[in-house]
Amino acid sequence: MEPFNVQRIKLGIFILTGTILFITGVYFIGKKQNMFGNTIELFAVFNNINGLKPGNNVRYSGINVGTVNEINMISDTVIVVTVTVEKEISRHIKKDSKCAITSDGLVGSMIINIIPGTEKSQKINPGDTIFSLSRIRTDQMLQTLSVTNENAALLTAEMLKIAEGIDDGKGLIGAIIKDPAITEDVRAIITNLKNTTNSSNLAINQLNKILTSLDRNDNLIGSLRDTTLAVKVKNIINNVEVSSVQISQILKQLETTISETRQTITNAREGKGAINYLSNDPTLVKKIDRTITHLDSTILEINQAGIQLNQNLDALKKTWLLRKQFKEEKK
Amino acid sequence: MNTFRNFITSIRSFLFETGELAFFAGRFFKEVFNRPFEWKEFARQCYHIGNKSLFLVAVTGFIIGLVFTLQSRPKMIELGAVAWLPSMVSISIIREIGPIITALICAGRIGSGIGAELGSMRVTEQIDAMEVSGTNPFKFLVVTRILATTLMIPLLVIMSDAVALFGSFLVENIKGDVSFTLYFDEVFRAIQFSDFFPATLKTFFFGFAIGLVGCYKGYYCKHGTAGVGKTANAAVVEASMLVFILDFTAVLVTDIFTS
Repeated sequence: MEPFNVQRIKLGIFILTGTILFITGVYFIGKKQNMFGNTIELFAVFNNINGLKPGNNVRYSGINVGTVNEINMISDTVIVVTVTVEKEISRHIKKDSKCAITSDGLVGSMIINIIPGTEKSQKINPGDTIFSLSRIRTDQMLQTLSVTNENAALLTAEMLKIAEGIDDGKGLIGAIIKDPAITEDVRAIITNLKNTTNSSNLAINQLNKILTSLDRNDNLIGSLRDTTLAVKVKNIINNVEVSSVQISQILKQLETTISETRQTITNAREGKGAINYLSNDPTLVKKIDRTITHLDSTILEINQAGIQLNQNLDALKKTWLLRKQFKEEKK
Repeated sequence: MNTFRNFITSIRSFLFETGELAFFAGRFFKEVFNRPFEWKEFARQCYHIGNKSLFLVAVTGFIIGLVFTLQSRPKMIELGAVAWLPSMVSISIIREIGPIITALICAGRIGSGIGAELGSMRVTEQIDAMEVSGTNPFKFLVVTRILATTLMIPLLVIMSDAVALFGSFLVENIKGDVSFTLYFDEVFRAIQFSDFFPATLKTFFFGFAIGLVGCYKGYYCKHGTAGVGKTANAAVVEASMLVFILDFTAVLVTDIFTS
């Protein structure tokens, strides 16, 4: 038999352990339901809550941020759900955020999913309302699936007809599959394609060899890869361009000259202008010859007259009448 | 005709006993508020009922958690819902398995113990001697024991739940590589106050019923030493039955209030 005090101590430990476990349980359950944290209250408006219950989780970007507190039916189409959200997280929730009721996995309970709003929008305040996204319900999904099934059935029937037609050799595909001549043609085409492919391979190999040789400096194009040489070639090309422009201008001038010459020749042939007389009239030539001879003798006489005139002027300068006048002009 | 007469006798006996039990419970509530309180005896009973049962309850809880998880795991894997295992196990243990298993073990161990102890005291006229000596045997023997079972069984259930969840975690950790934090995060995410409080509250009634039946059977034990064995046996059977009836009632009431 243990002493009574030891029994009391052991009993105390037992009761304390049990109480601590109880309080721990209460604390953690309450914590998960946001009972002890700093929280704010928000409202979410739905027209169908899909079996949502108080205590269900509220998620924001996949994080559990709160719980559903209360569900109130305002009218036949408006249900207001009061949710508690952690204050720390609520500063990330924007006013234009949307909410939707979704299922937590295939067999999970319903949850409210808050979909983040835009960055520009202001952060949400306590008591604000978040509006819901219209969510596709199961019956709507089934309705859509039913239409899809009907379409699939029609499609299958059409496919069956096409398959039967093909089997009967109707149409292009049927002919391809059923007609032996077309099969032979297709075979021939494939053989040709094979040959073409082989030739292409050979051509590509040759091209590869050429391209490889371009990397070497033992040929013209390879040498052009040298920068210095390339600059020189560029300069030459520039000079050739300038020269070609100049040649072009010269050629134009030459063309004009030739044209003028041609016109002159044409005029001469037609008896127009002086050349015609010069080339065709011997009398005129003789007259010109005589005129030039007279002109020569006249110039000679003028020269002699000039010399005599100079002599006379010198004599005049020395006369007493005009000596003074000449001196003044000289000054 | 004899069968019918026996049936009527049984019904009469059952009704008589129910009435006696109700009267016994009424006397308990009357005595529990009367001074002086038997604190020392109460503490001693708490120690014997709480501390001495802890090992048995803890081992049972641990094995239950272990086995329950091991049995459920393959089916949950087959369904692709192995992530829901902590939630499922925790709700099952806290709502039902923990309280009922602990209550049944206590009904067997404590109910029979109290029945046999008080029964032997009755047949050896120790209770009569206490009455003669001026001590209130009901207050000293019955009130302390019923109070002790009422307060100790909820604590035992809480501990049993904790150990069972730990056993379940061990299986999940070894077989599924689930961390302690993740497992208990899932557990507390799944459990609501509507699971935890009614389950805890009903354990007070379980404790009260076990103590009440054990004390009633022992206090009114008859037919000498042979009657002591029968009393212990009857205490276990009736306490267990009462635990199931109370559990059923608690579940019904909880369902009405939570749905």
